[in-house]
Amino acid sequence: MPLSPPEQAPEVLAVEGLRITVNGGRTEAVRDVSFTVRAGESVGLVGESGSGKTLTCRSVLGVLPPGCAVAEGTARLGDTELTALDRRGWERLRGQRLGAVFQDPASYLNPSLTVGRQLAEPLRVRQGLSRSEARERAVQLLGAVGLHQPEEVFHRYPFELSGGMLQRVLIATAVAGDPELLVADEATTALDTVVQAEVLDLLAQLRAERGLALLLVSHDLAVVAEVCDRILVFYAGEVVEDGPTEQVLAAPAHPYTEALLRVASIGDWGRRELAVIPGRPPEAGEAPTGCRFADRCEYAAPQCRSDQPVPLRPAGEGRRTRCVRADDLALAGTGREEVTA
Amino acid sequence: MSAALPARIARAPKPLAQGLLTTATVFLLASVLTFGLGALSSANPGAAVLGDTATPADIARMNHQFGLDRPLPVQFLSWLGHALHGDLGRSWFTTVPVAQSVWQALPVDLSVAGLALLMAVLLGGAGGIAAALSNGGKVDRAVTAVCAVLGTLPAFVIAIGLIAVVSVQLGALPSGGYVPFGQDPVQWLRFSLLPAFALSLEAAAGIARQLRTSLVGALRENYVTGASMRGLSSRRVLFGHVLRNAAGPALTVLGMSVPMLIGGAVVTERIFNLPGIAQLALQAAQEHDVPVIQGTLLVTTSVVLIANLAVNAGLAALNPAARRGRRGAAASGDPVAISIPEGATA
Amino acid sequence: MRTLRNTLRVPVARGALAVLLLVALLAVFGGQLAPQDPLAQDTAHVLQGPSGAHLLGTDYLGRDVLSRLLSGTGLSVAGALEAVGAALVLGIVPGLASLWLGRVFEWTALRAVDALMALPFTLFAIAAVGVLGNGLHQAMLALGVLLAPLFFRVTRAAALGLRQVPYVEAAELMGASRSWVLRRHIWSKVLPTVAVTTAQALATSLLTVTSLTFLGLGVQPPAPTWGGMLASDLGFLAQQPWAPVLPGVLIMLTVGALHLLADALRDGGAADAVRPVRAAATAPVREEKADAAVAA
Repeated sequence: MPLSPPEQAPEVLAVEGLRITVNGGRTEAVRDVSFTVRAGESVGLVGESGSGKTLTCRSVLGVLPPGCAVAEGTARLGDTELTALDRRGWERLRGQRLGAVFQDPASYLNPSLTVGRQLAEPLRVRQGLSRSEARERAVQLLGAVGLHQPEEVFHRYPFELSGGMLQRVLIATAVAGDPELLVADEATTALDTVVQAEVLDLLAQLRAERGLALLLVSHDLAVVAEVCDRILVFYAGEVVEDGPTEQVLAAPAHPYTEALLRVASIGDWGRRELAVIPGRPPEAGEAPTGCRFADRCEYAAPQCRSDQPVPLRPAGEGRRTRCVRADDLALAGTGREEVTA
Repeated sequence: MSAALPARIARAPKPLAQGLLTTATVFLLASVLTFGLGALSSANPGAAVLGDTATPADIARMNHQFGLDRPLPVQFLSWLGHALHGDLGRSWFTTVPVAQSVWQALPVDLSVAGLALLMAVLLGGAGGIAAALSNGGKVDRAVTAVCAVLGTLPAFVIAIGLIAVVSVQLGALPSGGYVPFGQDPVQWLRFSLLPAFALSLEAAAGIARQLRTSLVGALRENYVTGASMRGLSSRRVLFGHVLRNAAGPALTVLGMSVPMLIGGAVVTERIFNLPGIAQLALQAAQEHDVPVIQGTLLVTTSVVLIANLAVNAGLAALNPAARRGRRGAAASGDPVAISIPEGATA
Repeated sequence: MRTLRNTLRVPVARGALAVLLLVALLAVFGGQLAPQDPLAQDTAHVLQGPSGAHLLGTDYLGRDVLSRLLSGTGLSVAGALEAVGAALVLGIVPGLASLWLGRVFEWTALRAVDALMALPFTLFAIAAVGVLGNGLHQAMLALGVLLAPLFFRVTRAAALGLRQVPYVEAAELMGASRSWVLRRHIWSKVLPTVAVTTAQALATSLLTVTSLTFLGLGVQPPAPTWGGMLASDLGFLAQQPWAPVLPGVLIMLTVGALHLLADALRDGGAADAVRPVRAAATAPVREEKADAAVAA
């Protein structure tokens, strides 16, 4: 179960009114995203591919794909404004205050250098360790992420290690500089379930040991539910629901979250049908005005299709929703009998 | 929790030994071709050397001295055997040992070709990197255009142009001649600069083009993001990581340009009046001096083969997969490599 | 043919073809088009600039430069064609044969190709002239032998890729004869690749012919050639620094057009078939391994 963070721990990451455009500014892909991650807290961004969760996380890392840009809003890491950083500013930040882990770890490591060298290089360059100190520290880190025989692994090339081992290596590189925030973008997606569980355990363990804040991005609600204190559900470039994990799972405040829960079949649904959400999410820039989920929503009412964007509004203690009918609906969460309005 | 280490690093199948074997085979075949070409000669060296007044008996005796009355396979084996011991026979006309002439000419070629190679790497490397970094921009288009022009301009036209401008018009550098490096390095450089530059441009264009292509590809790779996420500066990422992975194809192009620089430089040597192997071969060709022709061909081929070996060694050094005997796995991020499950949690 | 049609849609390709057509016309009719006798000397008017009588001026013996350029085209082009013709035959036939004639032939052919590729072009052509007598035919035949590996590799790689394509496999399994498979399936796919290589090889051999004639090999001196003109211009750079520009530009145009045509052909349909070849060219060691794997 997720750890509860100290209530008023300092904010590590604060994202405010973020808007991201693609196609060189012509299309809006993400709008009105605001959230905070406090020290020791873990926050999960969940949604289908194209929902904007990865763009949001990439903008925090400063690695938006070509043609994509932050058009509005701010993102602060501690007291550093990320959206205003130049190349050198990012270089100072990454590896030291900001670490990242991605899907397909093999591709994020240089295939022609040993993993040890890649782990030790920033230690020498950024932390000024000597060659032997860096080596020692690297081996220590490899051990700390649960790799057996770290001295052996140190001399291995990426292609000589399994996917799970590579993800551990990547985690080691990400936490090598003792960052305040660790971003994990679909970090367990390509792994098989057993390894996935191990890597998630490792992330939870590192968070507890080092007190780092974790921003986890995944399309898999089950993964996010296992690790995160707080969940943000993305749909068509917007945050549609935000709240503490347990509450969101138990009683979703947005029909899309309910549908996701049904698809993910978390908990014990009496009838486990093959659940799908009808229709497809709108393409970036082609979302309907009003509620963007309305066309696929079984609870859609005329007031959902207004010509104004639906605002994200409070829905109880520490919770927000973008559903117009949130107050009228009693949506089904996990472990409950299905209740419809 | 733990992750057990797979004990499955394949033992490397001695790529160096394999390369040497292939090279030896190729050398043998090339020597057969070289000798065979000589054997096709209809020249009658005895008659040519002794002149019109010689009697048939004298000519026969002379040809016997040259060993030309023996069966061809015997001649070949004897020729190759001597060649492997550094004896390439004697010129039919000057009776100077071929090895001696070649030995005098070879340093000229090697030093000029070496300088040309250096220039090609510097020019091509800088051009390729600049083009890749400005991918699609002005610099990229300029480099691409220059490379396209250089690809169609033969080295000797460039050489003539250089002489016309640098030597004749500006009088900056000599238009021809040579001073050995050991004798006077500065003079050597003055005489070598123009021919080396003329020779280097085509190779430089090839390297720039290849490097641009592979760099543009490599810069899109995830490991570039990975490296910069570790906090490495973009310069460090480029030179320490990307260039290393993108250098392979450019190195191959470099290797392929070695024969062009050493043996294909005949015209350039002639234009700049360099006393190199090609000049030696040219003179021998005009005199139908078969031993000299064969000797120059064999030595040039050997130099090319050695250069190829060096390039392959360089490629192997760049590619850890090949070094550990797993072909191409590193390049493709071979999913087959990810076959060993992690150990159970402890 | 589809490739040809695709290629002709590209304006660059049409331009390149037009240039080559012009060169071909010059090669055939250049002698007749020449306004004056290319060999006629006029010692009173040597090294003159362009004038009404001599549109491109005169050389060091007072010969008309334009006439020499025009009548020199034929020899260079004929030489290049001869070399590429020889290379086509010597490359394609063993290239295809190496896939079907068993491992011994395959191994020998591959090693022979390696050996030929290690021999330096121009030097070998010079050696051939030296050994076989001073004629362009000898040199071009030698050049053809050296260019053959290009076609060998290209044909082999294209056919190798195709042999594993399901429909060819299916045809073989259904009992189609080898020659039928060859004609019906492989040939049509190999041809575009061969066209690309032919354009490249023509450019290479044209340059080699020019080199040889520059050195005075292959032709007797008074006969005009592009290379020979460059060589004689070299001696008078102080008086006529612009003189080498004329043959130089002609060479550049022709070679450039061939390169552009090769690129256009590649883009116009040969791309799929060419790709494995380029990979092979950049990674000779790996190609060898792939061959071995297929042979096994």
